[in-house]
Amino acid sequence: MRKNKSVLLSTPYILWMLVFTLIPLGVVGYYALTDPESGAFTLSNLKDLGMYLPVLGQSVLYSLASALICLILGYPVAYYIAHRGPVAQKILYMLVMLPMCMSFLLRTLAWVGLLQDTGIINNLLEAIGIGRLQLIRTPGAVILGMVYNYLPYMILPLYATLVKLDHRLIEAAEDLGCTPAKTFMKVILPLSVPGIFSGITMVFVPAVSTFYISQKLGGTDTVLIGDLIERLFKQGDNPNLGAALSLVLMALVFVCTGIMNRFGGDEEGGVIV
Amino acid sequence: MKKTNRILTILIFIFLYIPMAVLIVASFNTGKDITNFEGFTLNQYAELFRDEDLLRLLGNSVLIALLATGVSVAFGTVAAVGIHSLKPKMRKVVMSLTNIPMTNPDIVTGVSLSLLFVFVGSGMLGQRESLNFWTLLIAHVTFGLPYVILNVMPKLQQMDGSLTDAAMDLGCTPVQAFFKVILYEILPGIVSGGIMTFTMSLDDFVISYFVTGSQFVTLPVEIYTYTKKPIQNKVYAMFTLLFLLIFVLMVAMNLLQLRAGRKRETMRSVSRGGIIFRRCVAGLVAACLLVGCGFLIFGNKQERITLNVKNWGMNMADGSDGTLDIVKAFEEKYPHIKVNMSYYESNEALYSQLSNGGITVDVIIPSDYMIDRMIQSNMLLELNFDNIENFKYVDEQFKNPAYDPENKYSVPYTWGTVGILYNTKHVDEADLTGWDLLWNEDYAGKILMIDNSRDAFGIAQYLLGYSINTTDKAELDACAQKLAEQKPLVQQYVMDQIYTIMENEEAWIAPYYAGDCMLMMEENEDLAFFLPQEQGFNLFTDAMCIPTCCQEKEAAELFINFLTDPEISGANMDYICYGSPISAAREHMEDYLATSEIVYPSEEVLAKGTAYAYLSEEITRYVEGLYQEATKLNAFG
Repeated sequence: MRKNKSVLLSTPYILWMLVFTLIPLGVVGYYALTDPESGAFTLSNLKDLGMYLPVLGQSVLYSLASALICLILGYPVAYYIAHRGPVAQKILYMLVMLPMCMSFLLRTLAWVGLLQDTGIINNLLEAIGIGRLQLIRTPGAVILGMVYNYLPYMILPLYATLVKLDHRLIEAAEDLGCTPAKTFMKVILPLSVPGIFSGITMVFVPAVSTFYISQKLGGTDTVLIGDLIERLFKQGDNPNLGAALSLVLMALVFVCTGIMNRFGGDEEGGVIV
Repeated sequence: MKKTNRILTILIFIFLYIPMAVLIVASFNTGKDITNFEGFTLNQYAELFRDEDLLRLLGNSVLIALLATGVSVAFGTVAAVGIHSLKPKMRKVVMSLTNIPMTNPDIVTGVSLSLLFVFVGSGMLGQRESLNFWTLLIAHVTFGLPYVILNVMPKLQQMDGSLTDAAMDLGCTPVQAFFKVILYEILPGIVSGGIMTFTMSLDDFVISYFVTGSQFVTLPVEIYTYTKKPIQNKVYAMFTLLFLLIFVLMVAMNLLQLRAGRKRETMRSVSRGGIIFRRCVAGLVAACLLVGCGFLIFGNKQERITLNVKNWGMNMADGSDGTLDIVKAFEEKYPHIKVNMSYYESNEALYSQLSNGGITVDVIIPSDYMIDRMIQSNMLLELNFDNIENFKYVDEQFKNPAYDPENKYSVPYTWGTVGILYNTKHVDEADLTGWDLLWNEDYAGKILMIDNSRDAFGIAQYLLGYSINTTDKAELDACAQKLAEQKPLVQQYVMDQIYTIMENEEAWIAPYYAGDCMLMMEENEDLAFFLPQEQGFNLFTDAMCIPTCCQEKEAAELFINFLTDPEISGANMDYICYGSPISAAREHMEDYLATSEIVYPSEEVLAKGTAYAYLSEEITRYVEGLYQEATKLNAFG
């Protein structure tokens, strides 16, 4: 009796999610399959997509690279935080969270001020006699922007897995004669796999679809798929082609996260505080 | 290993915090540029609190975040309890539904919601303004709900089911059991879900960017348009204050949690502290909703009409540098009208925004060829010239123009030329041969190119000697080829961002509109303007029009009339540095502008300029496609 009633509590939510997540995707599909001028059914938007493959490839490449860099940088940090005392953990955790709460537009803009030809870093380099370097408007700058913005998304899930790790397993490994390196490779790393994959997903998805980072830190050759979608909707007056590109981006992301989930084991609710 | 770990962690934290330090330092800078610290000042903070617009935007963001959090928390908690009691199979389905907004890229969520709102609102319900406060709130609740659910669900699963049974055996109704037992157990989940929703909502840019209409705009969306124009230091001041606020809040939260955690360990029962904590949280959620509703009811109660004006960036005197604040002057004259300004970057962007629909705009100021396009697409309303009696001051040569032959839809606002802005310190005068300066390899990487299809093609057409109104596809293809050749030399494709980049000498050469070039020359005296007369140049007129999505036509006409007053027009030109289509206005302008060769070129020079005409929908789309391929996609490489 009680169970039946509380089941009903989820109905409004299910309806809400259907109306505001599934149906909108249907509308995107509808736009992708219609002509911008006449509104008639057409496949031409999807036919044009071949031209956008290099941009798509570039987006995937950059975001995978930044996800890997995030992993390499984030893992030791997460490990370090997870092995502090409870109070230090709280403080460090908070310090990782804090940048995520501040305007990412302004923080990215600060990087422009740091990296540009007449920027802070180049002024310093000039002053100490090294001379100016081309830092901004390179693929490296775009990847740096992604790593900077999304690194916390890697550290937090890694920390969550590492902090739950059973210490007795490590002790057991050590007792059985493992070197620290071996303990890490054989025990700690395998046990943190779910965190690794959830971190990679959480970095990859926003990175692959970003447009602000590449607009600000990239050059004329670092156009990403997000740039094109934004442009088609906001300036190019071709929401239909934009919708088609959105569908492609979405499909790509779902395939990638699907693969990640398969490796990472599908835990319900990867987000934690 | 431990030591290297520690060093690396410290380095990473430095990496995470350096950009923020840069912004915080910039908030105390007397100079304009973020890279150059010229002196210490607290003025930016004073400016910030005087800037009503900025504070209103911040208020909007907080309001949306509070309401979205309140609704998501209440709705999400109830839903989580419901989902928890679903059969496992069904639960899995619902959880994957919940995961859609979490895994979907923000840009896709934003695009899909905006298409839905416009499709249903404008298309099916015939709403004028289908992107408004409510749709923004719906969007924020939609991405907030999963955070609440994903945080509450694990707590529900950890909870001992027999607790509820015990409560009901002891005589609780299910509702009482929920409030007395379940709520307490899942509270930490609710709190963390709420906090995540709040921070995500407060700082959300991408989704809001797509679902925002013209009336209710949040801070991040406005900052995006700010970062295209020269950003004002008071924005950094606001950033610093927000940083402090969030820092204090986080520390407080952590202290509270630590304390509650300790108490819990010692007592392990529904302690007093727990009850107080619980009441605090319930009170907070209620306060969120109350404050939000209060704002909605009282804050929105305006006697004044809102007039939505969409203008180019930096295209109306705003009171800075001792000029007249046009909007303020207008509001003083007509106290029942409040002007709400928003901006577009190019004619094409304006057209795009209007044809995408969902927004209300009362006055727009597009250029000639775009006005013709809008007339052909039935996007403009006929003006009632009885309300625009100042039209009599407009010079005869600007009346009945080619783009509006019977002069039914437009009143000219400015006119000007497109030329090249260059830095005399770095560019050799001998290289000023014509538009080919923009293809000069000596300046590779220091050239900016104008970022809209029509002006970019125009430049290529002048260079190649074609008509700027050609419809010959072979010629257009050749232009695209020329633009593709230029791409390796181009530093960036820009519109309003040109200001910062040229003023701080990040780039040296850029084609742009003469008036804006004048503005930049005032900021950096090494900048100069060059008009390639031999090859020809674009001569444009921007005119005020009322689009069909207008809601306050009479007020819009009052505004147009006000701007056509010679004295006002003159004062306006003092700031924006364009030519006024009203001769009488020239007398009210400052001498150096009224006599400037750049603002008012001689008849002889003007004869070499040509105007864009609207070609056809097919050619317009063809050119836009080519432009995209040449400049964004390496398709001609």
